[in-house]
Amino acid sequence: MDEFNDNEIGKLLRLKKFEQPPPGYFDNFLHEFHRRQRDEMLREPLWRICLQRAQDFMFRLNVPALTSYPVAAAALFVCAAIVSLKVYQGPETPTNVAVQNRPAFSAPANVEGEWTLASPVATRFFTAQPIRKSNESARAHRAAAPPRYVLDSVPVSYETAFRF
Amino acid sequence: MDQPRTDEDQQLVARTQSGDAAAFDQLVVKYTPRLYGLVYNMTSNHEDTNDLLQDVFSKAYKAIRGFRGKSSFYTWIHSIAVNMTLNFLKKRGRRYHLSLDDVDASIQNDKEFLELTATSSPVREADLSELQKRLNEAMMKLSDEHRAVVTMFHIQGMPHAEISKILRVSEGTVRSRLFYANRQLQNYLDEFRKNPVA
Repeated sequence: MDEFNDNEIGKLLRLKKFEQPPPGYFDNFLHEFHRRQRDEMLREPLWRICLQRAQDFMFRLNVPALTSYPVAAAALFVCAAIVSLKVYQGPETPTNVAVQNRPAFSAPANVEGEWTLASPVATRFFTAQPIRKSNESARAHRAAAPPRYVLDSVPVSYETAFRF
Repeated sequence: MDQPRTDEDQQLVARTQSGDAAAFDQLVVKYTPRLYGLVYNMTSNHEDTNDLLQDVFSKAYKAIRGFRGKSSFYTWIHSIAVNMTLNFLKKRGRRYHLSLDDVDASIQNDKEFLELTATSSPVREADLSELQKRLNEAMMKLSDEHRAVVTMFHIQGMPHAEISKILRVSEGTVRSRLFYANRQLQNYLDEFRKNPVA
């Protein structure tokens, strides 16, 4: 046979499977693999190792499966937010009543929607309109009406008027 | 070549994914000889093969959590090995030297070897080491992609369909590459036949 045909080439190439690494190579391969893994781990920064551990932990918990309930998780979050807001605004209610009873500290209606992380009482005090002092209020009332003198709602005298 | 039982692999993969490193060790032990043959016949260098194989298993271990079982573990690990080897060969370029393993003595009893030495004058005339050297030289003259196909088909005995899955090309492309590679190898080995001592 003068030329190699496809079949012979195939047979020749199959002989390459007899090329084998030194004896014991495959037995030591796993040991070498573990050694390299440890070396790699030592070279890695601490934060990456921590991240890896966290990922492993999350994977074991099967977190992706838990995310199939996003609505429940969102609802829980919203409820928690509302409750915390209510608890935080709770002490404000008696203050409002007191403020309404005292015109000097009444706040405008649009302030009701505003809220801050600061104390609600302080917020009312600083955001309220300028307070009219009680003496100013009395002075204005006096200017509007003529002075009247009533002594204990009792007439000055029950005697009949002099007739001349 | 018989493919390993995939259900056994699936169990080992599942155990590895749940944090059992010993299960991955079993996969390493199981696939090292097979992958060694693949990478070695693509690089023709024992030291490069050893380094690449370590990197292949290291990468597989890091990526195994993302393995969803769409293909078999066998196909998946072979894909990693072939791609990493092709990338390595591109970087290495033509700067290489052959570092060949010894031919196992059992070849003397191999049926195909006996047939070849009985019928083919070039093989009969050449001694084993010379034949090995010629074959590897011929292989190294092929492009990396062609060598990968030849290695998987002729040496590893994989079917065309499996090779196409590993390389992510069509079966037609695999057959075409194989045909072209066979022609090239035939030409190189004919030169050897005409001038065996060159």
